[in-house]
Amino acid sequence: MKLLRDQINRYLSPGALVILIIAIVAIIIAAVLPRRTAEGIPMWISAEPHFNAYKPFAQEWNRRHPDQPINLVLLHGTAMERRMLSGFMAGTPVADIIEPNIGVAAKAFAGPLESVGFLDLTDHLREEGLLETINGPSFAPYTSRGRIFGLPHDVHPVLLAYRADIVEAAGIDVSQIETWEDYFRVLRPLMVDTTGDGRPNRYLLEAWHTNPHAPSIILLQAGGRLIDENERPALNFPRNAEVLARLITWMAGPDRVCVDIETYSASGHRQRLEGLVIGSLVPDWMAGSWKRENPALGGKLKLMPIPAWEKGGRRTSVAGGTMLGFSRNTEHFETAWAFAKELYLSPVLAEQMFRDTNIITPVTALWDSPIFDQPDPFFSGQPSGRLYIEQAPHVPRRPSSPYVVSGLERFINALAALRRYADRNQIYEEAALRIEAQRLLDEAQVEFERFINRNVFLAQEP
Amino acid sequence: MKATRLNLAPWLFLAPFLGIFCLFTVWPLLRSFILALQQTYGPGTTEWVGLHNFRYLLTDPLFWTAAANTGRFTLGSLFVQLPIALGLALLLNRPGLRGRGFFRLTFFAPSLVGLPFVAMLFAPILEKRTGLINATLHRLFPIWDPEFAWMQEYVMSSLILAALWMYAGFNMVYFLAALQNVSKDLIEAAEIDGANAWQRFRHVTLPEIAPIAGFVTLLSVIGSFQMFELSYILLNNTAGPENRGLTIMMYLYQSGFVVGDLGYASAIGWVLALTLMGIALFQRWAARRYEER
Repeated sequence: MKLLRDQINRYLSPGALVILIIAIVAIIIAAVLPRRTAEGIPMWISAEPHFNAYKPFAQEWNRRHPDQPINLVLLHGTAMERRMLSGFMAGTPVADIIEPNIGVAAKAFAGPLESVGFLDLTDHLREEGLLETINGPSFAPYTSRGRIFGLPHDVHPVLLAYRADIVEAAGIDVSQIETWEDYFRVLRPLMVDTTGDGRPNRYLLEAWHTNPHAPSIILLQAGGRLIDENERPALNFPRNAEVLARLITWMAGPDRVCVDIETYSASGHRQRLEGLVIGSLVPDWMAGSWKRENPALGGKLKLMPIPAWEKGGRRTSVAGGTMLGFSRNTEHFETAWAFAKELYLSPVLAEQMFRDTNIITPVTALWDSPIFDQPDPFFSGQPSGRLYIEQAPHVPRRPSSPYVVSGLERFINALAALRRYADRNQIYEEAALRIEAQRLLDEAQVEFERFINRNVFLAQEP
Repeated sequence: MKATRLNLAPWLFLAPFLGIFCLFTVWPLLRSFILALQQTYGPGTTEWVGLHNFRYLLTDPLFWTAAANTGRFTLGSLFVQLPIALGLALLLNRPGLRGRGFFRLTFFAPSLVGLPFVAMLFAPILEKRTGLINATLHRLFPIWDPEFAWMQEYVMSSLILAALWMYAGFNMVYFLAALQNVSKDLIEAAEIDGANAWQRFRHVTLPEIAPIAGFVTLLSVIGSFQMFELSYILLNNTAGPENRGLTIMMYLYQSGFVVGDLGYASAIGWVLALTLMGIALFQRWAARRYEER
């Protein structure tokens, strides 16, 4: 033993000995630990509520189809994006069934049509009548160059959630509100300074020039667009300039009515609870997350259609989205397709998904389900499902593009630049701001087109 | 025959290192340069575009915005962070200072936590209304606007402030080590000759710590050019309003992994690498000139 110790001391310093021992132990652990082997057809999901809702369905499917089981895998959104794109681009292992969100899915459309990693579902959808079964506009974000690559999971209509306790205590009747102009005029008396510091302690709408959530919703509601029907950039569309200019009159200047609240943080929830803001633009999924993350708001809120951009205009918008796609290299398409249809068309799952997440199904035949008419205590007893469904057929179409995120960034940057221009020149009238807004968007459009035109693969497409 | 064996021996000894170096450094560098001359949608779908990516980069307003922001951050690091680090080191180097170890640990501790942690910490601190800075200032001075938008109007200043908190103590340790090596005899000699405190610092201490100061400056410049996590997390995965927080590394990441243009991202990476090599060569040249004087 002593001889061995002497030999070790002769050749290895204590530090080197520690490293050697760690290396040996690590190798043994790596060799001994059992490898996790996934059984069944893998399906990647990045939304935990979806994963939880699908689990019992997958278990039931696996019981009925022991030879073709489905293996649900929950991944972080970024991890799924990287693994999915690596799989599509470089042939690394990728799941047969993938459920990406709208922004991630669109990135798969950046190459030539024949290189899109998702399987083209257009013919399947047409042959099986699913194009009529599922809400039409919901397919748009998953369509590239006329081909559909995903089964839509949702519709995500947007309503306005307002503090009914405060509004009703002030004796204000919201039924007289039709347009945004009505909304701000009728609720204006609620903007009071309760602390005497010369600043209002309550604002009328949660929207800010640095946060894309509300501006992107209002842009679509107003008929604006970032990408046109031909999947080309449309930043300088005249309606976009009108939206920019009017948003700045709401967000800046002496008549400011909007407030900047963090969309997802704890402080944002606290400020909503404290009544810093009266109204927020809430898609169906966000209503579900508020129920989970800010239950104290329950009973204080009510929903109403979004005030129209102009008289007779659209009373809703759309935000977010998820699709189900299949790897073009899947060897189990028939099984995966059968499972996907059972999952997405299931009335039981549609009801469970609504109960768990407040998300309404895009399957129009299921919209008559009585579950959507049940009073929702969180929204002061209103049937929140029915209110969202009433607006679902009217959600605006969103043409897809791998550059939609870049387009939105440029739109928000133009909004921020317009805000700076307004403050510098003390101009807060919509008509005067519209000229500068158009100039900023024209500039952004040139740069955006140049940026997109770099993509030689899209440029080669007819 | 014997001479040949002698010539081969060093190469045999170097072979393991050279093998690993070529496999993990030279080959990826070569591949990334080839990538910079292509547009790709994965390895199977590539198009040779020659120097187009580099040409586009030279006229890309976003790249120049990123370069300007990175330059501002670097200047902030050099002219705010390093003088403060040196000042702290001078204070802690004063003879007879009690609790030196405690202060040294206190100033150094923030650098142990990592940039993502610093970003997570500063995000709520800099928030409007509920953030520590705005809430405290508004309580102390009611005239202070609680909606003061640190992360919207003063993006770069906020980033410099967060980096200062983390790195001032780290750089202080380098300066402190250099100060402790300054010859006491020289200081005493200058004192006997009638030099005041500033003259002793200017003509004795500063030349003595110049090599370390040069090294710390180079590290700060390289670190600043590579800044990514801080702005990425603090700005919530965005480049901030009007791209005011966009840095070169962030633009590289966005081009490669958000837009999916790996060829262009490679071109940005090469321009960044060549810039840093140029700065390092300039620093070496300047240091040599200084030593010769």
